Amino acid sequence: MRAYKDLREFLGVLEQHRQLLRISEQVMPEPDLGAAACALAQRGLGNPALLFDHVAGYADAQVLMSVHGSWQNHALALDLPVDATPKQQFFAFAERYQQYPGTLERVAQAPWQEVVIDKDIDLYRLMPLFRLNRGDGGYFIDKPCVISRDPDDWDNDDVENVGVYRLQVKGPDRLGLQAVPQHDIAIHLAHAEARGEDLPIAISLGNEPVITLMGATPMLYTQLEYKMAAVMQGAPYRVVKTAKGLDVPWGAEFVLEGRILGRQREAEGPFGEFPGYYSGCHLYPVIQIDRVSHRKNPIYDAVYVGRPWTELDYLQAMTTSVPLYVQLKEAYPEIVAVNALYTHGLVVVVATKTRYGGFAKAVGMRTMTTPHGLGYAKIVIVVDADVDPFDLNQVMWAMSVKVNPAGDVMILPNLSVNLLDPAGDPTGVVHKMIIDATTPVAPDRRGDYGEELDQPLSTEAWRRKLDALIKGMAT
Amino acid sequence: MNIATPAALPACCPRCRAARIELRSSSPVPGVWSVYACTTCLYAWRSTEPAENTDPDQYPAAFRLKPEDLPGLPVIPAIPPLRGK
Repeated sequence: MRAYKDLREFLGVLEQHRQLLRISEQVMPEPDLGAAACALAQRGLGNPALLFDHVAGYADAQVLMSVHGSWQNHALALDLPVDATPKQQFFAFAERYQQYPGTLERVAQAPWQEVVIDKDIDLYRLMPLFRLNRGDGGYFIDKPCVISRDPDDWDNDDVENVGVYRLQVKGPDRLGLQAVPQHDIAIHLAHAEARGEDLPIAISLGNEPVITLMGATPMLYTQLEYKMAAVMQGAPYRVVKTAKGLDVPWGAEFVLEGRILGRQREAEGPFGEFPGYYSGCHLYPVIQIDRVSHRKNPIYDAVYVGRPWTELDYLQAMTTSVPLYVQLKEAYPEIVAVNALYTHGLVVVVATKTRYGGFAKAVGMRTMTTPHGLGYAKIVIVVDADVDPFDLNQVMWAMSVKVNPAGDVMILPNLSVNLLDPAGDPTGVVHKMIIDATTPVAPDRRGDYGEELDQPLSTEAWRRKLDALIKGMAT
Repeated sequence: MNIATPAALPACCPRCRAARIELRSSSPVPGVWSVYACTTCLYAWRSTEPAENTDPDQYPAAFRLKPEDLPGLPVIPAIPPLRGK
């Protein structure tokens, strides 16, 4: 395992693996940056990160996109072999996740303190902000780590929170924040607002790749993202405290310090969101920025959000699958793997051994009652232990032959779902479905399942031999 | 694309057509673009964006807003009662 000290070190690794594309021609903030990132996502698999260093109107701005935008980049973020399969990445992530907690390394100074602006702040000039999609209501900072503490439990590090929340730039020193009630920061804000106070926050942008993955992981309220990042990178996580006492990643490019203004709401949105649809407009909390710090020649890091698949789907891939897997396995040790890659887990595929007839359906229901499942897991497909849930060819085979809709499809009416699911009727409520694509076992003796095809004796040896030979063909 | 900074403020917001528009910022390299914002619906745009984001007549109908609808937007998250009140 390797701990990247900052984003720049990771970009060097991406470049070594030919996974970073520098674009030096002049681009317009709109529509070029969004269009390029969209086109990249449409190319499909294996994409590099993009680094633009000539954005019209800026003297020396750098815009970075798609840092997590392929399985290759995701593997390198976790210091896994660049060609690790999704299934291999899942098991590596899960093994580390279960080592929680790691520790923090607190230091006094960080490179992001090089340049400090605390008056006449103008985010439009300090950062190469741009509109991502044409219906977005403004310019959004969409890949930040937002750090807050609980005003009722200020010194408790375990309830400090690092979350990736979208921020709409409303003015030179003013932001809007999306914090839905399920987000941990909403708990901190509710406590501050009940006290009649503002909530101090820090916003860290341009981070090494692991803390962004952790900020996107639906972990428990009492789990600190830095302690999870530490076990993911195999070393204590290095942070610096702000004057207000918030821990900020040492390696950040930009750090914005400010306050969520207590008891204020303001129009925010729309923003093209992860389901592939625009969110509407809402009255959301407002942030006043009091201080901006940044490295010299800072890199502005953004994520493209559009119709899946995009970089966002990689950010929500293993970070969604693994917490579900760990929580399911606590109830049922038979669980083998969980694929929640699709739209943050609106569709989940669970591979499990089956204890007895009907077991797979219980697994499906438990998936829906996990904390994340309450807002997602609209369709749960349960497959046998020998089906790789990350290989959709195998999943479709299981669905093709192991499902009799008469007894294998369950519709559960009027369950909760994320407000951003456009199928909700009313919004936030949806029927959910379990598809039991496991082979019926006693006492559930439906179907006529004879002998399943297996493989000839020396297949595994031949696979290793062919892998080596085919790899040799490419060099 | 026209890379020029209009001298006068736009007449109204492309999204909600409210008339109070503010200049929010301008490009660090002088004269390339300006950023405007509507003080009513908080929509912001850059002078160099495609017309569908800057021209009220070409702004997509699906994203238009009416100023009178803004107070009725959902409040998220809800504001809790003050403690002790």
